[in-house]
Amino acid sequence: MKQETKEYQYDWILWTIIENASVTHDGSVKEYESLLTLIPHFREALDEIIRQGEAGICLMKLMARYLKRCLTAHDEGRKVAFTTFCFSTPVLYAFDVVPIVVEAMTVLGTFIFKRGTGEFLDYCSEVGFTETSCSSQRGALGAYLAGLGVRPDFIVCDSPGICDTNANSYAFASAYLDIPFFQLNHPPTLADERARRYHQADFRCLVSFLEEQTKKTLDIDRLREVLEEVRKQDELICELTEFQRLTPSPVPNIFNLFLYSGTFLMSGTSDFTELLELMLERVRENAARGVAGSRSGGERVRGFFSYIDHYTTDLRFWRWLESREIAHLGCILSSFWQEDAIYAAGRTEAAYAVRTDSVDAMIDSLAAQMSRMPMVKSIRGPYDAPHMWLDDTMLFTRLLKADFVAYIGTMGCRNTWGMVKLLARDLERRGIPTLILYADAFDDRIQSWEAVTDRIGEFLHLRGLTSGEPGLVSSG
Amino acid sequence: MIDTFRTMARTLNNPFVEKWKGSGGKVIGFPCTYLPEEIIHAAGMLPFRFRGVGTTSLSVGDTYFGPVICSFPKCILQLAGEGRYEFLDGAVIVPGCDSMRRLDECWRKAGEDYQGSLPGYFHYFGVPHKVTDYSISWFEEETVIFKESLEQYFDLTITDDAVAEAIGLYNGIRRLLCRMDRLRTGDTVLLSGSDALAVLVAGSAMPRGSYRELLEGTLDSLEREARDISEGRKRLMLVGSVNDDVGFMDVIEDSGGLIVADTLCFGFRSYADLVDESDEPLKALTRRYLQHSYCPRMFGYYKDRLQVLRRRIREARVDGVILQNIRFCDLHGSENGIFERDLEAEGVPCMRIEREYGPLVETGRLKMRIDAFMERLG
Ligand code: SF4
Ligand code: SF4
Repeated sequence: MKQETKEYQYDWILWTIIENASVTHDGSVKEYESLLTLIPHFREALDEIIRQGEAGICLMKLMARYLKRCLTAHDEGRKVAFTTFCFSTPVLYAFDVVPIVVEAMTVLGTFIFKRGTGEFLDYCSEVGFTETSCSSQRGALGAYLAGLGVRPDFIVCDSPGICDTNANSYAFASAYLDIPFFQLNHPPTLADERARRYHQADFRCLVSFLEEQTKKTLDIDRLREVLEEVRKQDELICELTEFQRLTPSPVPNIFNLFLYSGTFLMSGTSDFTELLELMLERVRENAARGVAGSRSGGERVRGFFSYIDHYTTDLRFWRWLESREIAHLGCILSSFWQEDAIYAAGRTEAAYAVRTDSVDAMIDSLAAQMSRMPMVKSIRGPYDAPHMWLDDTMLFTRLLKADFVAYIGTMGCRNTWGMVKLLARDLERRGIPTLILYADAFDDRIQSWEAVTDRIGEFLHLRGLTSGEPGLVSSG
Repeated sequence: MIDTFRTMARTLNNPFVEKWKGSGGKVIGFPCTYLPEEIIHAAGMLPFRFRGVGTTSLSVGDTYFGPVICSFPKCILQLAGEGRYEFLDGAVIVPGCDSMRRLDECWRKAGEDYQGSLPGYFHYFGVPHKVTDYSISWFEEETVIFKESLEQYFDLTITDDAVAEAIGLYNGIRRLLCRMDRLRTGDTVLLSGSDALAVLVAGSAMPRGSYRELLEGTLDSLEREARDISEGRKRLMLVGSVNDDVGFMDVIEDSGGLIVADTLCFGFRSYADLVDESDEPLKALTRRYLQHSYCPRMFGYYKDRLQVLRRRIREARVDGVILQNIRFCDLHGSENGIFERDLEAEGVPCMRIEREYGPLVETGRLKMRIDAFMERLG
């Protein structure tokens, strides 16, 4: 690792950047525009976020607050837990534990830093972690393993049985840092009685672990408060998803990122409710005007991203889609399976409900929610089983009227690389044009961003999904 | 007798299977030490552990699996697609890891394209990733479901008595294998690591009754001959990803090493723990299989595994440890990284290597690395 990289703590530097970026809009427009020119590798991304108005400004402030909370947790007497994006945070907030969501930290480094998290990815390999592991954890993990961040008190993850690569990263970190580890693991089925019993027993075990680590008993009133907040958020998220069905979709593409970042980092906090309300305001306005969420207000083609998004430098992914008027209708990360979600209609067994009438009801609700988190729900079993990846992808594609499906993942993703060719074949057989991208969402060294856009552009052109010349769609 | 085992280890099908099939016996394939194979034996069928031996191309494996997947399940699929697993009447998929669990879908889909490549009975057997009272109960239910699915598909009954008898036989074999272990870990070493592997691999591919006899006879004759082969050789331990490849062991042992111990799943982990014969058979089976010497798929048990390694290193007076993983096997590969850190800190020389499963195309590279390690061991 270069000396200059080791000069600053990774999480601290992310916080200073986001903190400063979050106040750029506090002054006049002119001041904001002048400040933008001073921002090096993250200018366009910031502008893209701020351009979303109140919602964008709110997101920046919330991110700054979240990062500060991570940095100051120990000083304020709170415990810090490493966790994974698909671990639902309310239970941690109920215990006043601050979650450091490693993948989210990787995303920040990937799009903010000029060289992404390359050095940290490599540092992981230097200390013994395989270079073939998923980059979504490795990116930020490298920094933490090098001591360039807050030292977590313990680790909680919920990926065993879902994604071994993910779980393995956390197991590695726990062994490397010699800190306690707890895993929720999941059976291969979702909705049967055995799975329900397992989820509930496992979740209770988690509660005991958290009690042990925090030396506190679960505060029932606090838990109820957090869950009431989750309930409000769920309603807002469901409304947002419904808007995505409209043609054109009034939901700005980047709101998809807002939605899942907020859920992964702050589900159950009032901060996130505020963000969702602001997002909805904007979406309602667009819908009333009958325009798409894109900068131009137009929509040429609708895409569903069957897995994750691409977090290349400066968040070029969303801007590129917008510039081509490609509507981003969501990905696996933005499907949460609340009982009132449009996609859950007629599939109640696949969804969860938030109940707060008793302690058991609350814990069971959390267990059900955890087991329906993105990825946890849909890649735990065979990809073609009920409620799994193929089923969900077809459902979303139909409901949201997507013209195509694209897969972007990471090269470390054994789980999806073990079946994505089959998924694509099945979707194509059902008449859904499907593209597999051999890029890595967190590591531009695997495939350049230009190669990614070329491939999407050429695919859309060949499949007759865009008008105009291929060059028009494919140039980066 | 070792030659019989070595021949069996070098091929997929073998005369024992042919004879078994010839007399109307059924064969069920399975990939992993987490499947209570006694159930298959108790059903009167032959449990056959999947291997990818003899693969020369990955044309089928690469068609269904993506590019960044461990070559072990790919080789199994390749052989299935080529019709070389046609002797199987059934197959059970066990989620050892992500790559292995996706063998389920890839094989089913290949079965649509390659006629006859998918056995009639095809079952997915879930395994929790941790040991708790509720995970053991779930695993017990899963074992009952597996047993009932065999009963239903093959129209037979698996009695408790038959399971108890199978447990007795398997425990007997495990005791013999522990005896074989002592022939390697003691001051005098009576058989090489590659020979031991051949014995173990053969045992996963032939009727267990005949195996017990053959094994016992082999051990008797090894003990009778008492020919020490350790003179001037470095005592090594092999750790990491699945290995059923005798050729790979030969490369190591031809460089002046002697593999006196391992913690591999075709090796030590398959026989180290017994099933409690005093308990109710199904309960005892599930407890043993979920808790048997953990592999890294059981997340969060690093310290337990390190203890096992330390114990083995001590018992077998190991000079150096080879930590190997198949490319894309992050579970073993990453854990090897921490083993290396911790063992080296305790003064145990370690070497990490990443390799491919399948035809030993990398012999030259491997040999060079191993020679260098031998030099280090002095
Ligand atoms: S991208 Fe794949 S490898 Fe990475 S965490 Fe998700 S499922 Fe696991
Ligand atoms: S060697 Fe590793 S990746 Fe390959 S099947 Fe075994 S556990 Fe899975």
